[in-house]
Amino acid sequence: MKNVVIAGYARSPFHFAGKGELTRVRPDDLAAQVVRELVARTKVNPADIEDLIIGCAFPEGEQGFNVGRLVAQLAGLSVTVAGVTVNRFCGSSMQSVHMAAGQIALGAGEVFICAGVESMSRVPMGGYNPLPNPELAKTTAAYISMGETAENVARKYQIPRAVQEAFAVRSQRLASEAQAGGRLDAEIVPIKTKAGVVDKDGCIRSGTTAEALAGLKPAFEQDGTVTAGTASPLTDGASAVLVTSEDYARAHGLEILARIKSVGVSGCAPEIMGIGPVAASRKALERGGVSVGELSIVELNEAFASQALACAGELGLKEEIINIDGGAIALGHPLGATGARIVGKAASLLKREGGKYALATQCIGGGQGIATLLEAV
Amino acid sequence: MADQNKSEGIKKVCVIGAGVMGAGIAAQVANGGTPVLLLDIVKVGEADRDAVAKGAVAKLLKTDPAAFMSKAAAKLVETGNIEDHLERIAECDWVVEAIIERLDLKQSLYKRIDAERKPGTAISSNTSTIPLGQLVEGLPDSFQRDFLITHFFNPPRYMRLLEIVTGPKTDAALAAKVGSFCDLTLGKTVVRAKDTPGFIANRIGTYWMQQAVNQAMDLGLTVEEADAVLGKPLGFPKTGVFGLLDLVGLDLMPHINASMKATLPPGDAFHATNRDVPLIAKMITDGYTGRKGKGGFYRLNKAAGKVKESIGLTTGEYAPSKPVTLPSALAKDARALLASDDKLGQFAWKTMAPTLAYAASLVPEISDDIVGADTAMKLGFNWKFGPFELLDKLGPKAVAERLEKDGAAVPDLLRKLGEGTFYKIEAGKRLFFGTDGQYHEVKVPEGVLKLEDVKRVSQPLLKSGSAAAWDIGDGVVCFEFTGKMNALDEGVIGLLGKTLSLVKAKHKALVVYTDADNFSVGANLGLALFAANIAAWGEIERSISGGQQAYKALKYAPFPVVAAPAGMALGGGCEICLHSDAIQAHAETYMGLVECGVGVIPGWGGCGEMIDRWKSAPGMPKGPMPAVTKVFETISTATVSKSAAEAKELMFLRPTDGITMNRDRLLADAKAKALALVENYAPPPKPEFRLPSAGGKTAMDMAVDGFHKQGKATDHDVTVADALATVLSGGDYDLVDVVTEQQVLDLERAAFLRLLKTPQTLARVEHMLETGKPLRN
Repeated sequence: MKNVVIAGYARSPFHFAGKGELTRVRPDDLAAQVVRELVARTKVNPADIEDLIIGCAFPEGEQGFNVGRLVAQLAGLSVTVAGVTVNRFCGSSMQSVHMAAGQIALGAGEVFICAGVESMSRVPMGGYNPLPNPELAKTTAAYISMGETAENVARKYQIPRAVQEAFAVRSQRLASEAQAGGRLDAEIVPIKTKAGVVDKDGCIRSGTTAEALAGLKPAFEQDGTVTAGTASPLTDGASAVLVTSEDYARAHGLEILARIKSVGVSGCAPEIMGIGPVAASRKALERGGVSVGELSIVELNEAFASQALACAGELGLKEEIINIDGGAIALGHPLGATGARIVGKAASLLKREGGKYALATQCIGGGQGIATLLEAV
Repeated sequence: MADQNKSEGIKKVCVIGAGVMGAGIAAQVANGGTPVLLLDIVKVGEADRDAVAKGAVAKLLKTDPAAFMSKAAAKLVETGNIEDHLERIAECDWVVEAIIERLDLKQSLYKRIDAERKPGTAISSNTSTIPLGQLVEGLPDSFQRDFLITHFFNPPRYMRLLEIVTGPKTDAALAAKVGSFCDLTLGKTVVRAKDTPGFIANRIGTYWMQQAVNQAMDLGLTVEEADAVLGKPLGFPKTGVFGLLDLVGLDLMPHINASMKATLPPGDAFHATNRDVPLIAKMITDGYTGRKGKGGFYRLNKAAGKVKESIGLTTGEYAPSKPVTLPSALAKDARALLASDDKLGQFAWKTMAPTLAYAASLVPEISDDIVGADTAMKLGFNWKFGPFELLDKLGPKAVAERLEKDGAAVPDLLRKLGEGTFYKIEAGKRLFFGTDGQYHEVKVPEGVLKLEDVKRVSQPLLKSGSAAAWDIGDGVVCFEFTGKMNALDEGVIGLLGKTLSLVKAKHKALVVYTDADNFSVGANLGLALFAANIAAWGEIERSISGGQQAYKALKYAPFPVVAAPAGMALGGGCEICLHSDAIQAHAETYMGLVECGVGVIPGWGGCGEMIDRWKSAPGMPKGPMPAVTKVFETISTATVSKSAAEAKELMFLRPTDGITMNRDRLLADAKAKALALVENYAPPPKPEFRLPSAGGKTAMDMAVDGFHKQGKATDHDVTVADALATVLSGGDYDLVDVVTEQQVLDLERAAFLRLLKTPQTLARVEHMLETGKPLRN
């Protein structure tokens, strides 16, 4: 089987939905700017790109039709580059990486752009026409709100509010240190908007304190422990990674960030969807023959502090290797774009920080987890 | 924003001075849809040189009741400072000065304004104390020609009075231009006042308040007693005098009195009534300046568990407030009240007789005629009757005789009137008694039409216990509600049907309008509760169905129907508007489908009409849910617009519906709108709906479930919202079914009845009837 590598990563700045600086940017345009820049930065020959796979959790409206194909055109890629849209909710763009890796292994192409996009400003969560199956809604938690699942996980895994808040403070601190230290600059593609160029993340709240978070009201349940401060915000953003066969990357002198070692997805009970990364990560680790102790970098998506902490606890992850440049609580979580961000970020960090293995994993609404295990080259 | 009656000539306004009045005036200019530049000084030590004006706008945005009618209006206010931006008054057609009441500062500002303005720009001062003659002294004739006083009342959005004072050199055409702008675009009723201290309203009002305070103290009344007398029985607001002083601020009174004392001629009756009140001085010193301070004559004692207290006028000590109810014979009869010789009656006489005599002595000194004085008091102090209308109620001759007996001076005008009354109706016209001793017609400005004027000269075409239909000319019939709070009952619904037949047979168009402060608060809940308590379900269903059929008959009538709401238009009152071809709303229209608050859902077609409106709203995404979701949010939370502009945002008004700023012009505007629709009129096509069915209902239920978990929705809210979701999602109809208007009505009716059968809904209705507030069960 062919080896598959991550040979480039870029993303837009992430901004609050509805009030941030990307509110007035169409998601297809946003993704196209990121893709175009990724191609330019990696110097990959556009004609060699087999397919543009875009993940999106609510692929309708301006991120509808087949946004994968449309972004390929907006980004000025060759007309021969195909395009596809994939939806696994929050795991969508990590899924696009898995699909590319599978295609490469199958011999169905050498070069793929795996992207993700979500404008939570412009397409509401749940889409414009949410029409849940009444029977399924009655008998299962298939459509349960994400906030409720965070409360359920907090209860089941006994994550007190103060611990969630300490984790959120940590995320904000790490993100703002990374931003101040310029460690986020290389991955960010400055986005042209009608109001000017946006080149900095907009969600990070530097100086967040435990005291300030302790004053917030529960956001989802009257007597709950989860607040806006311990949840990822609604976010606009796009991300992309270049996925190629290792042979192609070497032959064309591309900078390899990491090799894909193994992947996994798994379902779990929808009412505790936040625990999804545990089973998915275990699958990926087992398939890769790697133990938790061998990991030096983990990008564990912070949909909520409660679920991230529960997953870290269940998997036995050391806190100091998790989200060392901050996570989604601080950076934001544009649903469809997060997967490619954390795969690209984990690969970049593996290169930057050294070490042998990195894990990128996230939970998925409806009760799933997805994981990608990377190995240093 | 106003889209009707735009006055020509003033396209941009500058307000200088961003205090409470200046900022409020700027907001009202913006509410009228005109861009406005708000300037104030540069504050020393402030990095942002526009900080003062910006701070004022920030404060306006938080004011309650709101100063702005919409977010769009707020965007029309541009801020700046008089050091850097004064030259921008060249962009403006009218400059309003509303700075501190200091002649030297005003005059030096005028000189700077005069240097920057373009020729012909109107300049006005909002002064309430400085005579125009002094303001323009030493300024060039060209400035004096363009200068006048425009005296607004606080808060400028809500107080309808505007006193305009012109000087001998003021250009009449320019004053007319400003007056017409204030009338049409700002919605103010303009009263021309003379250049005398306090103009009209404050001159009479200050005297009245001081007289009341004096008499209450001399006669040993409690503040509750005084306010009970000087409240509803005489047509004054229920705040009375002491409540009013609390509202405007106790510290204002010594200020105004000092200014009156300094400027009024020595012989003026004011001087005799003006006295220092040690209690008020002490209260001000102690921080009891009224509602803006720690409290005033009334206070809420939070330490004692939110107990309402009042101050003893002789003791100066607070004690729990003891409400006073007047005997009903006195409460409803002003004449009997003033004749009563107990201390409340004496208080009434000793306050009102000098006040009314004072008012009578001031015409023509402060106003050319009594109409101006009456209008000013009605709109500036919210009196139901002006002083001369009150005199007519009391019997002018009887008042004159008693004054005489008291040894008080009888004003010339009152003496001249003799046996007559200040107003009378002759040949269908309302006449007033002039200072020349002759009667003159009360002139109604063009474009002003009041139903009360129609009523004076005609009989209703049709009438029931709670509604009436009037011929308002040119083939237009006006249908009005007449019940308590304009509540809707079978008398309204029944007469509506008859009116539709009549208009079809003999007239061209129908306007639904009432002169009342509130258009309608909706269906009569008392009747519904009564019927539910005796389980008269058949009766209830018939009455819901009757309303549905009547409203649809109105909608599909072969002639245009225009609804003209003002004030509250709630529930069934909102639904009748939704069924009209067009709405012409007063800017202060508070519209909403509030049924969920009492545990039911809109039952007279409101659900379907709202879906139809949102479906056709510009920019709505495709599919069955977006419109339904909007309607669900609006109705389930019983959202009420805080203005007509907001009613447009909520789609109670269509984009093509009109807004009238001046309340007095509403009926005429609505009539014009109806007549404009007459030619080639065709009733609207019947809407058809594609509703989201069970899937959509599930989505709405899930959203409510989330609010319930957050503690934002009560248990019964969930039940009511579920019933609403059933209607809006189309009940058992499938996503691919075409649902008719009638089928939506049937769903509405079923859901309404289902809810009315729950004890929680009945508890809500009962609670609303008893307390006027929603029960959160």
